[in-house]
Amino acid sequence: MNPITEEMQQIASELLTAQEVKCVLGWEKGTLWYQSAPAFIFSPDEASRLVWDEFCLPNLSSYLLDDRYSQDRVAIFVKGCDSRGIVRLLSDQQLSRQRVYLIGVPCPGMKDPAAALGQKPGDTSDLPVASKCRHCTHRNPVLYDRLLGQPVPEVEPSGERFAHVDEIEKMGIEDRYAFWEKQFARCIRCFACRNVCPACNCTYCCFDLDEPRWLDKEVAPSQNAFYALTRAFHVAGRCVECGECERVCPMGIPIMALNRKIIKDINELFGDYEAGLETSEQPPLGRYNPDDPDNFA
Amino acid sequence: MYVLDKSQLPSFLEAMAAGRTVFVPAEAGGMTRFVPWQAGIQLYWEENPVISPKELFFPQTQVLYGYRTLGQQLEILSRDEGNSPRVIFGLRPCDAAATGIMDDVFLTKGYEDSLYRSRRQNTLLVVLACRRPGPACFCTSFGLDPTRADNADLMLYDLGAEWGLEAVSPAGQDLLAKPAGPVERQAAAPEFAGDFPLEIKVDHLPSGLRPMFRHQVWDIMYQKCLGCGTCTYLCPVCHCFDIQSHNRGVQGYRYRCWDSCMFSDYTLMAGGANPRPTKKERVRNRFLHKLQFMPERYGKFGCVGCGRCVLKCPVNLDITQVANRLAEVVANA
Ligand code: SF4
Ligand code: SF4
Ligand code: SF4
Ligand code: SF4
Ligand code: SF4
Repeated sequence: MNPITEEMQQIASELLTAQEVKCVLGWEKGTLWYQSAPAFIFSPDEASRLVWDEFCLPNLSSYLLDDRYSQDRVAIFVKGCDSRGIVRLLSDQQLSRQRVYLIGVPCPGMKDPAAALGQKPGDTSDLPVASKCRHCTHRNPVLYDRLLGQPVPEVEPSGERFAHVDEIEKMGIEDRYAFWEKQFARCIRCFACRNVCPACNCTYCCFDLDEPRWLDKEVAPSQNAFYALTRAFHVAGRCVECGECERVCPMGIPIMALNRKIIKDINELFGDYEAGLETSEQPPLGRYNPDDPDNFA
Repeated sequence: MYVLDKSQLPSFLEAMAAGRTVFVPAEAGGMTRFVPWQAGIQLYWEENPVISPKELFFPQTQVLYGYRTLGQQLEILSRDEGNSPRVIFGLRPCDAAATGIMDDVFLTKGYEDSLYRSRRQNTLLVVLACRRPGPACFCTSFGLDPTRADNADLMLYDLGAEWGLEAVSPAGQDLLAKPAGPVERQAAAPEFAGDFPLEIKVDHLPSGLRPMFRHQVWDIMYQKCLGCGTCTYLCPVCHCFDIQSHNRGVQGYRYRCWDSCMFSDYTLMAGGANPRPTKKERVRNRFLHKLQFMPERYGKFGCVGCGRCVLKCPVNLDITQVANRLAEVVANA
């Protein structure tokens, strides 16, 4: 057994036995060998379900919003990106720090389950890195109560992070419009991208509002664009780049290109900034500075 | 059986498309789905398309009628789309079975949905016999045969270099009579090979589920659900819809659109009451609807084992795991 898996199971079992937490959130093996799914562990004897492997992609942090008013303490395993999701919830005041026991897991980068689809279980070393991990800047958890294993070396951010954005920026305005229209034409408005997102943490989402109905339930280019752009702007400056929105999208829409465009613009306008690193952070679009640039050209 | 050299498929489809729209599986706009055939289109045969053919009978958004007001006058603008003849070419047996279930839902039990009927009644089904199970298939769990469909007009067989075609209905026979038609010859339908990766044990379903509505097993099954619409929107059997209006100034239109029992506002009442307040009740509804309520009402499960939800649920809340867990609880009760 993977030593981290072993440690995970042991910690979970201890925390639950000592009744320090009501539940432990981690991952367990799913139906197919390349699926590792979120696991909610409530009793010590279930702890043996927990695993740590190269398919633990899901970011579990947004589950904490389901019981955001609960007083129950929960333990949660966090990779680098997941820990930034937690920071997001903490700095947006959707979670109190005492409610969570954070067990950090340094992450070597997950593997792409799509590449394993239809393949026999086996050696995963040839599988490509998961798309959401490709441009990761924080593999080590940024916030934790306890760390498992050894920190992994961080990868120097390469120019690749904004490569797709650069490519789209180079298109003419009409091509760019056509590009995004085509991408979002296949959006089925399942809301998976919103529901999984730790930055989408409003108690009541504007897209669910019936009266007034800001977003028509009709799936049409105008409504899909309105949904996509509004969501992108609502998480602007707060998106922690966990890549979950794009991972969960059943239609394979390149949502991260939209998020990274905004991140890139923020970097250029307000100086380099990464969201979800400090619980006391004030996102660049959430504070006012008299010398903020105001060139909207 | 009739056979057709694969290189002749375009001309066969072209002849079929005269006076009809022929929908074929293809990669379109970054997704796989059924799209109108046209010359030069690349057909997609590898797996079952991600978007099921249900959208051809039951589109995600369908305008019912338009309206305009002029002072005190109201004008209703019809948006009837008519019912031109169509063929769906190359859907799989699971999706054909799902179409049969949709027919039950929309056309039986005393109410006929005219919108559904107008799209369904002139549509012929050319069903592709599967040769192997896909990565998450379990159609056989529901007694379906992956190489046949009772409601097919024509069965399509992959014979390697050729397509095999076998008429099941008189209308299917007519499709074969086209000038560019295939030739009749002795040929055997290909063998189905490979083990099904997944299985649901249906022995205790649906009757065993009847006393399970309040069972504690539901308390441990829903947590990981994100409450998204992926599973229900991709499911070829899910058929829930909402009716809404798009109002702009003095005009607008009324439309129906897919809805999902996994959404929080699905059962939201005026005044804010919600009989399915949490994910637990919603997850329970989805599975009981498929495994108990549908069989009770229609004598058929609300799942055909196509595996789309298994492959696409972002958190692997898998119907086979849920159903087998329920079966276990029922068996031990
Ligand atoms: S917008 Fe996407 S990448 Fe950003 S925090 Fe939300 S889920 Fe993560
Ligand atoms: S996850 Fe994809 S398909 Fe679903 S609402 Fe978001 S963009 Fe649309
Ligand atoms: S079961 Fe999966 S696909 Fe269905 S609503 Fe829940 S998370 Fe979404
Ligand atoms: S419930 Fe899932 S497997 Fe069953 S028919 Fe629907 S999408 Fe296919
Ligand atoms: S579920 Fe059965 S019929 Fe459908 S694609 Fe798979 S093998 Fe074919």
